[in-house]
Amino acid sequence: MEQPDIPFLSATQLASLIEGRQVSPEEALNAYLDRIEQVNPKVNAYITVCADEAMEQARQAGQEIQQGRYRGPLHGVPVAVKDQVHTTGILTTDASKIRADFVPTEDATVVAKLKEAGAVIIGKTNMSEFAIGDSFSSFKGPARNPWDLSRDPGTSLGEDTGGSIRGPASLCGLVGLRPTWGRVSRFGADGACWSIDTIGPISRTVEDCAVTIGAIAGYDPKDPYTRQVPVPDYRQALTGDITGLKVGLVQEYLDPEKSGVDTRVRDAIIAAAGVLSELGAEVRDVSLPLSVNCGVAIRTITHVERVSLHPEWLRERPQDYHHNTRVSFSTANLIPAPVYYKAQKVRAMVRREVLGALEDVDVLIQPTSAAPAGVMSMDGTVASKEQAKQALHRGGYTGPYSLTGTTAMSILCGFSSEGDGGLPLAMQIAGRPFNEATVLRVGHAYEQATPWHNRLPPV
Amino acid sequence: MRDLTDAEVQGMGYAVGLELDGPELTEVRHSLNAMLEMMDALEVPGVNAVEPVPLILPDTEV
Repeated sequence: MEQPDIPFLSATQLASLIEGRQVSPEEALNAYLDRIEQVNPKVNAYITVCADEAMEQARQAGQEIQQGRYRGPLHGVPVAVKDQVHTTGILTTDASKIRADFVPTEDATVVAKLKEAGAVIIGKTNMSEFAIGDSFSSFKGPARNPWDLSRDPGTSLGEDTGGSIRGPASLCGLVGLRPTWGRVSRFGADGACWSIDTIGPISRTVEDCAVTIGAIAGYDPKDPYTRQVPVPDYRQALTGDITGLKVGLVQEYLDPEKSGVDTRVRDAIIAAAGVLSELGAEVRDVSLPLSVNCGVAIRTITHVERVSLHPEWLRERPQDYHHNTRVSFSTANLIPAPVYYKAQKVRAMVRREVLGALEDVDVLIQPTSAAPAGVMSMDGTVASKEQAKQALHRGGYTGPYSLTGTTAMSILCGFSSEGDGGLPLAMQIAGRPFNEATVLRVGHAYEQATPWHNRLPPV
Repeated sequence: MRDLTDAEVQGMGYAVGLELDGPELTEVRHSLNAMLEMMDALEVPGVNAVEPVPLILPDTEV
């Protein structure tokens, strides 16, 4: 294996080589560090690269493996962590000038679990400031889409409130799994929205996702909202067999009139449903008439809950926020209580609608995003009420499952034509609460039957 | 519903300890008016009778 090829392997492929001692963790790390040095000036994906600390972890992993103490499929594998997740001794900025010097003294539970699994923490990834959900408020500048540097990578790279795992995965051609709320501890992750936040993996393949969620899931006494629900071996769910599974194709998200879906995305989803049907699934039409309009409800809830974490900073250091964050937080502070309360009522009804649909089918499928990645605008000025309304419609695709608190995954399901940019298109697969295994099973069967995940970005 | 004015938004800001003025006040006004209008227009039959419990999920895999 040539070192430059290592970063293009899936995590499980790399793990296999590490376990077989064909590649050492140090070699793997060096290959990643070289790749980051080459590409990060273009994509700005990392706020911090912790090469020295990572090399120490890689050396330790290498020694353990040499001594026959192999821990499992993340041992010696480099993993990046979003910059709102605490890492002992490593800068954790929330992409904000306000937290520019914050160095945690304790790992978030997910980081502790990754280290326990032998993963090598290579750095901290870029995000919108305090995860507000735009693409340009990071104090380190925006991340860029590796398929086209002029395009939006989908806001943050990690934790999912309204869609910040599934959105970036969708626009960047990756797999992103939002776990059920309560499946993964949020201890040590700076909150965006307490009742919706989840932490989950973004990876190259479904199997990588299965391995990572298996490592980080589980009850944590430090997060009182994690549930004491058994964590299955998710890799065992990846049988390739989906015969007889019931798949609901959500009709509203295929209708440009109702959801604004781009016809390229719609056609890719219909084709993906056809693949699942050929694989033996029973695909049927499902309707979620309320959910498709819930974008403003989730925005109302996330605005209010997010700003409640920042009262002192907003009053005492307003100029240290990005302009766009300040406008967003100021707006959030003025939302009347009855409006927030109505949004919570709508949420309860969306949850009832989604869980009702999932009583009749095993999973729901629909687009993750309305369209492929758009060209990034660096001007966040809210020029009119109509422009603000357009922004509030966002979240209508990933929002229903965030509001429901259930699990949903984004998976690559095609590309726009080469003449049309060759941009990733993505399908969202949502499942019943705590049934990530079935979501992964369907995604894996689809992935194995299609070539999309083998294509690499041009950057 | 009627849009809030800059003065009204500024007054709401004072109530929560925020000093809003200039172009930023206008942006906040646009954002707030958009949200209030869209939430008001969100007509969901039966919504008034719903109890807005944030999250209730089953304890076991389903």
